[in-house]
Amino acid sequence: MLPKRAVLLCILVFVLAAPAAAGSIERIVTPSGNGLDITLTLTDIPVGGIVETLPDGCTWTEADHPENRTRVSGQQVAFAVIGEETIRYRVQGPPDVAEAFAGTWEDLLTGESGTVGAGEPRNPGPGAATAPGTPGFGCAAAIAALAAAYRWRCGR
Amino acid sequence: MTRRLLLLACSLCLLAGMAQGVPCDRDGDDTLTAPELATAILDSLDARFMGGTVEAPSPVDLRDAAFIYEHWDGRTLTITDSSGRTTTLSRPLRRIALFNSDTLEMMRSLGLEPDRVVGVSKYVLEDPVFYPEYQGTANLGSTWAPDYEQAASIRPDAVFLYATLSESSCADIEKTLRSIDPGIRFFRFDSYRPATYAEEARTLGLLLGKEEEARRFLSFHRNVTGTVAGVVDAIPAEDRVSVYLESWHDYKSAGKGSGYDEKIELAGGRNIFGENPVEYPVVDPEAVISRNPDVIVKIVGAGELAFGGYGDDDRSSFETVCRTIGNRPVWDRISAVRDGRVHIIHSDVIGGPEYFIGTAYLAKWFYPDLFTDLDPRAVHQQYLEEFQHLDYDLDEHGTFVYPA
Repeated sequence: MLPKRAVLLCILVFVLAAPAAAGSIERIVTPSGNGLDITLTLTDIPVGGIVETLPDGCTWTEADHPENRTRVSGQQVAFAVIGEETIRYRVQGPPDVAEAFAGTWEDLLTGESGTVGAGEPRNPGPGAATAPGTPGFGCAAAIAALAAAYRWRCGR
Repeated sequence: MTRRLLLLACSLCLLAGMAQGVPCDRDGDDTLTAPELATAILDSLDARFMGGTVEAPSPVDLRDAAFIYEHWDGRTLTITDSSGRTTTLSRPLRRIALFNSDTLEMMRSLGLEPDRVVGVSKYVLEDPVFYPEYQGTANLGSTWAPDYEQAASIRPDAVFLYATLSESSCADIEKTLRSIDPGIRFFRFDSYRPATYAEEARTLGLLLGKEEEARRFLSFHRNVTGTVAGVVDAIPAEDRVSVYLESWHDYKSAGKGSGYDEKIELAGGRNIFGENPVEYPVVDPEAVISRNPDVIVKIVGAGELAFGGYGDDDRSSFETVCRTIGNRPVWDRISAVRDGRVHIIHSDVIGGPEYFIGTAYLAKWFYPDLFTDLDPRAVHQQYLEEFQHLDYDLDEHGTFVYPA
């Protein structure tokens, strides 16, 4: 290879891969009456799945998501996402668990996955907590599964 | 065919019998509905994360189902390629092999993910500057000397070949690979011909699930071609500049119906050998002198003039070629030489998927006063950055035209 080509190759090896839109999900938890209203806002996840793990002491009530795209099992709720940009659901439970929700998502078109995490409360409104989605579905799923297993072993 | 290849062929034939319909289509009506997809997603999440025991689709089936629902309305896709062949797909293409590097470039314009490409022609591997992300991809050889063993061993689900270039070689490749693996789908696209360029981009966009990207790219393409056409279409035939085009072989020009003849016309020129029935005729220098072209365009980048392009920053070779043309015996009588209207252009921007960039250069050379606002270099830079996703600065690298 000619030296100038080698230099060029070094320069151009930093190819910008076709930028795919990175998905994310934000969760807002708002105390309401004797329960909590949870709003999941999806960005760039046209077809995918979400698994939310409800905090201890919370029980599932309802969702505005179609029934045939929602599945509840114990403290876990699965949502099939097909074009929705927002999912709202409601649980019964104490208001102080707003930051204890855990969730994971995956985009079935890009293969991306991430966490809908509790924590990092922002200030979207009075009494509300929010957490942005972050990459790392495998890790998030493992943490969620561990949390679920811990609860199960503790009989909760 | 070697014994190894025969063994591979037998095992692939067995696998080919396992073809499926649309994944996750529970009622088997060849249409994946939203409820069917939702059930598949929930079953998968349930089985993987919620301890459910329901029979869930495999991750591959689920991703394919999501793709088909999103891009093909939940149905099989039937497309017709540029050879006129119709193919029906019930799965997205995940393992693509291309003997046609022009189609690879067009697919890159559409945002194809590199990990969907499992094999490329040797020309792609010989061009690390333009195709850095494919270095290390399986080498399929060329259309004229294919590596069948390699092509079969990478288990492609689709092989892309030229539609109208090297037709018999492409037919041989198809026949041989089909005998090894009947499950391979074959598609014929050119991806460099102006007449079929837009339709091919649209079809590839649909095939790859890149419909929106195809629309965006074609809007850019149409903006350039439309700008040129909008001006040159208004120029009466008798006022059009006469053009002598010469390939990298001296005195080899472009005849009637050839690709370069078409590009001269698109740029508003009148090819002085446009009536020659031979596609690429070798012409008499005296004939060029007697026809006295207004503009001379010389193409470099192959044969004895294999320099310039993306991997070459040295612009002196272009200057030498330009000077040599002017020094040909008695050519100083030609208007183009006398008026300093001899131009050199690299085949990368006129002979392949970037033809519309070259056409913009031609139009500007033919009618500089009519295209003061047209900046082919800026078009080229935008193409590289926005559609080829290359970090390549034309101010610092490459040699494509002279005078610049």
